Amino acid sequence: MNLRWHHFALWALFIVGMFALPQFVSNGTLRTMIFANFLAIFAISWDTLSGRTGYISFGHPFLIGIGAYTTAILTHRFDFPVEISIPIAVIATMVGGLIVLLPALRIKGSYFALVTLAMMELVYQLVQVVRPDLTGGTRGMSGLPTLTRGAANGYYMSVSLMLAIALSMWLIMKTRLGTALSAIGMNEEAVSGSGLSVTKLKMTAFLMSAFIAGLGGAVYIHYLGSIAPRALFDINFVFTIIVAALIGGAGTTIGPIAGAFFLTFLLEYLRPWLPGAERYMVYSGLALLIYMYQPKGMWALMTQATFKSKIRP
Amino acid sequence: MLQVLIQGLLLSGLYALIAVGFTLIFSVGRVLNLAYGAYLLIGGYAYFYFAQTLGMPKFAGVLMAGIFGCVLGLLKFQLIVKPLKGNHVAIEISTLILAVFLQSTVIFVFGDSSKILLPIIPGVERVAGAAIPFSNLFAAIASWIILLSLWWFVRSTHMGRAMQAVSMDAKGAAISGVDANRVNMFTWGLSGALGAIAGVFFASYTQLYPGMWVAPLIIAVAVVIVGGIGSIIGTLIVAHIVGFLEILTSAYIAPELRGVFTMLLIIVILVWRPSGLFGREEL
Repeated sequence: MNLRWHHFALWALFIVGMFALPQFVSNGTLRTMIFANFLAIFAISWDTLSGRTGYISFGHPFLIGIGAYTTAILTHRFDFPVEISIPIAVIATMVGGLIVLLPALRIKGSYFALVTLAMMELVYQLVQVVRPDLTGGTRGMSGLPTLTRGAANGYYMSVSLMLAIALSMWLIMKTRLGTALSAIGMNEEAVSGSGLSVTKLKMTAFLMSAFIAGLGGAVYIHYLGSIAPRALFDINFVFTIIVAALIGGAGTTIGPIAGAFFLTFLLEYLRPWLPGAERYMVYSGLALLIYMYQPKGMWALMTQATFKSKIRP
Repeated sequence: MLQVLIQGLLLSGLYALIAVGFTLIFSVGRVLNLAYGAYLLIGGYAYFYFAQTLGMPKFAGVLMAGIFGCVLGLLKFQLIVKPLKGNHVAIEISTLILAVFLQSTVIFVFGDSSKILLPIIPGVERVAGAAIPFSNLFAAIASWIILLSLWWFVRSTHMGRAMQAVSMDAKGAAISGVDANRVNMFTWGLSGALGAIAGVFFASYTQLYPGMWVAPLIIAVAVVIVGGIGSIIGTLIVAHIVGFLEILTSAYIAPELRGVFTMLLIIVILVWRPSGLFGREEL
């Protein structure tokens, strides 16, 4: 397991710090941090699948969308209580994750990324035309039940969800399962050569990723109170999730969280200078530079820096 | 019926033109260039700026679009694809980031709202109830000519054979004295120029807006995947399958579903026959 006491001390410090934050910052900052928390959840979900096993998913909103739409339809059209609809949404997303899994058993690399991209576009187009009385069509739905009121409550909800997911993922990745998943990313043949079932491992990664995506998507929708297909099944949304995971450091637990917070706050602080979508110019330019310089992200850059300073005092 | 046939042929010609640059890169460089759609975006806006804002002649506008696309392709190869040394996943991700960067640069320069591109060749002919804009007719004919001359070029010229050699076996090509770097540079430049010119036609077919790169990218991906890597004739055939599929769907089922079958086609073909319908024997 390779756990050390200082790991838990750092986690405790991190959790206490995150929960103490509402005492010090304004409500506006808290609202930004809520979005950062949700983005971190999605980035962790992407990283569980793609960052570890190397199967790059370009269609992650497909999973998030299944969770979000399932709970939205159940609560809005059939008056399910939120406590029941969210678990159903998570199960539906895991079933959706299995559908994505099927092609992944056959194809690799670029082709897998393309299938996931095609699946996202397929769902985007279907959602608008198939049963618009249920999905709300192009406009989506609004007036969904919200879980919390006020910035501080929303923050506590999103941050506890994010931290719970991050901590459990960190623990899981410390086990042999996590090692095996990372090994798939390095050399799949070697993993199956050492007697492990690659299919089972991939399935576990998909189901975990789908679980997080569905849970995050469902809770996110009940925080926003509305859902719209264009905001969800968007290549820019994929881009934001992937960049958050990569810029922080794919294959780590803290990386996606750090990346999500960095990017959300970067976009927020750029708002006074660049009010519109041109903010993404700075964002994507920076992401491209970091990615080209160090594909493992800022986390690797930082550990490199501390490592070097230790060698040469 | 005739109307569907004509519309299908026009749309398919446009799709073939969009897909051919993508095919080139995918077969020679073996990399998935997700920023391919951005060539069309840059081409469309370059044409808009030079031909409509500055009032240059239309042919010069198309030429400028081609030059912009070519330079962009060369820069992309030198600055992104070459340093990543064939790491496919890294190239996909960095080209996706680049596409978003170019999209937001366009928003920064030209603004978020969509622009109307005047047709390259004005005028509409009506045949059997189908409106044939001369622009689309020209695009369809141009795409046929470009594809066929490309096919000839790849089979019969020294550079074309070198491209074929690199796409089959980069090491073997290097041993027989083919400068893979030069071939790659040429292919990326050509692909960029073709993409940008296709962008001018595509933008006059739909409209010019910063998010317009996604749809042609998906069409190009569909055509190349279904046609099989590296088959120019396969590209031409599948562009017609995809184009007619869309026109038939919107004519007989529902216009909103026009993209659905394209997506289904990609997924089914990739899962069932990853090498595509037309293999990869010929380039």
